Amino acid sequence: MNETTKQPDTPRSSVALQTARNTAKVAGAFALIFLGLLVANFIGTAVIGPRRENKMAAMRALLREDPTDEKLLADIRQLDLRIRRDRLWRLDFARKSSYALLGSVALFLAVGKLAGVLERQGPRPGHVADRSAEQIAESRHARWGVAAGVLVLATAGALLLGLQGPLAFVKAEDSGPPYATMEQKNHQWHRFRGPGGGGVSSLTNVPTAWNGESGAGILWKTAVPLPGKNSPVVWGKRVFLSGATEEKREVFCFDADSGQLLWRGDVPARAAVAEAEIEVMEETGYSASTTATDGRRIYAIFATGDIAAFDFNGRRLWHKNLGIPESMYGYASSLDTYQDRVIVQYDQADAEAGKSRLYALNGLSGDVVWEAKREVPNSWSSPIVVEVEGRVQIVTLADPWLIGYDAATGTELWRAEVASGDVAPSPIYAGGLVMAIEPYSRMTAVKPTGQGNITETHVAWQSSDLAPDICCPASDGRYVYVLDGGGLLLCSNIADGTKVYEHELRDNFMASPSVVGDKLYLLSEEGVMHIAQLGPEYQEVAKCELGEACFASPAFADGRIYIRGEKNLYCVGGGRP
Amino acid sequence: MARWRYILITLVCLFALNVASLAQERFPPPEFETDYVRPTTTMPQPEQDIWEYVAAGVLIGALLLAAHLALKRRSRKAIFALMLFSLVAFGFIRKGCVCTVGSVQNVALTAFDPAYAIPIVVLIFFAAPLVVTLFFGRVFCGAVCPLGAIQDAVLIHPVRVPNWLESSLRLLAYVYLGAGVLFAALGAAFIICQYDPFVGFFRLGGNWNILVLGACLLLIGLFVGRPYCRFLCPYGVILRQFSRLSKWRVTITPNDCIKCRLCEDACPFGAIRAPTEPWPGKEYKIAKVRLAFLLLLFPMLVAGGAWGGYLLRDSFARMHPQVRLAERVHLEESGEVEGTTDASDAFRTTGRPSRELYDEAAQIGRRFAIGGAIFGGFVGFIIGGKLLALAVRRRRSDYEADRASCFACGRCYEYCPKEHERLKLGEKAVVART
Amino acid sequence: MPEHNDNVTRRRLLRDGLWGACLAGIGGVAGFAVAKGRKNDWVWQIDPYKCIACGNCATYCVLEESAVKCTHVHAICGYCEICFGFFDPESVTLDEGAENQMCPTGAIVRKYIEDPYYEYTIDESLCNGCGKCVKGCNAFGNGSLFLQVRHDRCVNCNQCAIAAACPSQAFKRVPADHPYILKTVDHA
Repeated sequence: MNETTKQPDTPRSSVALQTARNTAKVAGAFALIFLGLLVANFIGTAVIGPRRENKMAAMRALLREDPTDEKLLADIRQLDLRIRRDRLWRLDFARKSSYALLGSVALFLAVGKLAGVLERQGPRPGHVADRSAEQIAESRHARWGVAAGVLVLATAGALLLGLQGPLAFVKAEDSGPPYATMEQKNHQWHRFRGPGGGGVSSLTNVPTAWNGESGAGILWKTAVPLPGKNSPVVWGKRVFLSGATEEKREVFCFDADSGQLLWRGDVPARAAVAEAEIEVMEETGYSASTTATDGRRIYAIFATGDIAAFDFNGRRLWHKNLGIPESMYGYASSLDTYQDRVIVQYDQADAEAGKSRLYALNGLSGDVVWEAKREVPNSWSSPIVVEVEGRVQIVTLADPWLIGYDAATGTELWRAEVASGDVAPSPIYAGGLVMAIEPYSRMTAVKPTGQGNITETHVAWQSSDLAPDICCPASDGRYVYVLDGGGLLLCSNIADGTKVYEHELRDNFMASPSVVGDKLYLLSEEGVMHIAQLGPEYQEVAKCELGEACFASPAFADGRIYIRGEKNLYCVGGGRP
Repeated sequence: MARWRYILITLVCLFALNVASLAQERFPPPEFETDYVRPTTTMPQPEQDIWEYVAAGVLIGALLLAAHLALKRRSRKAIFALMLFSLVAFGFIRKGCVCTVGSVQNVALTAFDPAYAIPIVVLIFFAAPLVVTLFFGRVFCGAVCPLGAIQDAVLIHPVRVPNWLESSLRLLAYVYLGAGVLFAALGAAFIICQYDPFVGFFRLGGNWNILVLGACLLLIGLFVGRPYCRFLCPYGVILRQFSRLSKWRVTITPNDCIKCRLCEDACPFGAIRAPTEPWPGKEYKIAKVRLAFLLLLFPMLVAGGAWGGYLLRDSFARMHPQVRLAERVHLEESGEVEGTTDASDAFRTTGRPSRELYDEAAQIGRRFAIGGAIFGGFVGFIIGGKLLALAVRRRRSDYEADRASCFACGRCYEYCPKEHERLKLGEKAVVART
Repeated sequence: MPEHNDNVTRRRLLRDGLWGACLAGIGGVAGFAVAKGRKNDWVWQIDPYKCIACGNCATYCVLEESAVKCTHVHAICGYCEICFGFFDPESVTLDEGAENQMCPTGAIVRKYIEDPYYEYTIDESLCNGCGKCVKGCNAFGNGSLFLQVRHDRCVNCNQCAIAAACPSQAFKRVPADHPYILKTVDHA
């Protein structure tokens, strides 16, 4: 056998073999060259391309600074042309060299195979009589081979497990529903005049002494970038405000401890808004509506009808326009939230126009969850979300109807005819009664139960002692306090509406009264906070001056009061240790 | 000019804030006073279905022809010619996609994704080779698959891969199949397509990493016959099992084996099995104990594999883009990483709450826990089965092409003197060559 | 080997059974797939409402020149004089020179129609699918420019390489008889 293999090839096959081998070499060399060209082309695209683009960007930036530089301009255009030309050339080149590479590789393989066939030698089987031992050994090796494979797989798995931790987000803040419960809201100040919108807080550690001029008792003071007549809203360590001018609308978030402006969220104009002329009264401004939060997101609405949602980090989640409101003094109703929905009282135009609505918007998307049509004209009061006998209602006030809606579905539960004219004070719910004010005329207390028109059946009392045009009432459950713009404070019995006392404060008021712990807080336009003891007679506790005009109702939090001045946001309170 | 500047500044501010609310009518489309007509948007249509059906027809034709050439005509040259044809037709002309190997994933996706239904042609590409294999063995691999063809074409100087290495490397293919089906079924990715090493050559371009991988495989393929087919191909391992059951199959000899051993080294893919005797007496007892031990090990391997796969569920789930996104967003929100990625930015422009994303991703993660366990169990099953197969000895009296490993390439025919006899060339032809 | 050996017949029976089971299995899979029922092929397409124009389309396509190109729906276009798909927002003048153009390949053709309207068309042979103009148009304009997979170029990979790299999961399989997702006017 050995001898046969050593026999020289026949001359003919030897020549063919040589030729095949040489051709294979040449084809292989060509293949390598084309491969090199392709790689070079690839490197050219991957390396030089971005480099040139960077150069281009730099040159463009230079040109911005000096637009008159003719030479730079010419250079830019030259470079652009070169980039574009090169790109087309490279594409073409890549295509051609790929074909050439393919061709040369095919040739190389063909002649290589031919050479392989020509030099192939016949089979030379060995002379092993019994292969059993060999085969058994082979199976054994193969078994160990498989075992080694298992080991490799297991190691790879362990490595993967060790390098990558578990999916963290699965267990991330298992916070239940994507909104705060009413119980949680009751410990915050999540809307205009706090939970329930009644201006009531059970906190007893709220400061009673400060002075804006000297800075005594003021924790911090931060300038608010844009004007607005709306009140601060507080959730945990964040204080929210909104502000707007004719051109701009923004939401601000301040750090509750330091007063640092954490973020400002822009609400751009929708196309229609940009063109429309929106008229507002100076007293109202472009941002009279107070923001509201559901504990996860902050919502803000502006006089243009633009409403937007931001997360607590300032990312705008959605933004829409509810249509430009036809409001005589400018849209001013504040927002409230129910679960993860934003409640918008959108009263506008005449009652006959049929344009007034109560919306519940999905807080996550801004989509309308439900809307209720309202046969009322424009109004400036804010809706309140209150729990009455285990059922959550939304109570709204406008001319002439005080209406209670089911918060979940928006279906109307009851209505009472209690007001007329331009209604601005919001209703409050206290002591089982809803108090509603008709400006300059009367205050009505309605038992918010029953169905349909309950004007005849559920009105507990009416009083015409004092009916302010702007300020909302406040109540501690025993007395109702009403304050008018000229500083006349009226205290009445909640049970029957009879007058308890009247007191002249000799100040002007825009902000509504607040009942905090056992004290009454009244903030005047001049920035003076009148603090009085609750009870059957007016008993002054303190008078604190801020030294800045104030139009918005203050917000109360643990040991602190947040007051929006005309230009600044103040945090009153020494802070906790 | 001043106004133009002002608009620009405002817009630049907007741009900086990156408020990409899509498709709003900021500027109402104009009414033209001139008789200008708006151009319509061109929509060049994809290739007609008819060509897909033609491709499926060609596939079936090629399969049947391959069976005929391998089993009836027994001509290596004809098989090689058909293989080159397939390489050109399914590879370079059809650009290698959708291929039979990848179609496994389409089937998996069809089974688990209610929104997806496999197109008929892809189904044919998946099923036809299986059916043909059930009848004629792996003729698909030998002459029709373009991936096999490109490797077969470059095989110049085959070296023998030791049996133990072949056995352990082949596990890769099973793992690859399991992973491919798992990730396709749960909608993560078609990894078999993503890491298809040769499709870049068919398209004359593509991702450079994959092209380099393919080039490496082809370089190995110069010396090791069909490395992808033997050690990686996920479809190949299905065909292996089907081929074991085939009605007809490739035989080295056209009639009787005379045990001349001439064909012993004929197969570059190590698929020729020499005759075997039963266990020799002294080995028999040990072999029986070993078999019993492996039989006991088998369920443990399956359970262990399932457990391992379950443990790895989170790593598997990370193959899913939604899970990766959720993880990224969570890292960003918990402040563990700084900056955002394109993906997290894109997520935020949708305005969806991250909790929703987490829940969705966690849902996918739970599916991967089940899928991972099944995948692990499958791998354990394969390993156990392989060990058992290696522990038994079947009596074989002739030189045979291994049913599972034989690609039906036809190389061995001409090594058999009986074949030459059949071709009426006589014994001389073999001698003359030598 | 005696054919009528008990062992052998048993093995053969087992094998035939398995054989039948395999065939039935293929039939089952095929039947299930057919029952799910669709005749059409799937092709890849970009959902323009999800696309964030990140630029991956220009680089990740398996084709040397991406199959994704910018598409323009003129019905939505505002024909703006100052088009931010065309002009770099930082450009100083309204000169159409390379220094002011957004498109790196000069693939957008700007044509005067009537005061103050300009028509913008895409020269597809030049477009590389980078999406720079799309970003500009989405941010400042009507969003009438957007990216689409052009099916005269797309080779319809089973797993689209761009889809695997798409950060906004905007790539999806769509039926081949409706291979485009064009933006429409009413979707805003």
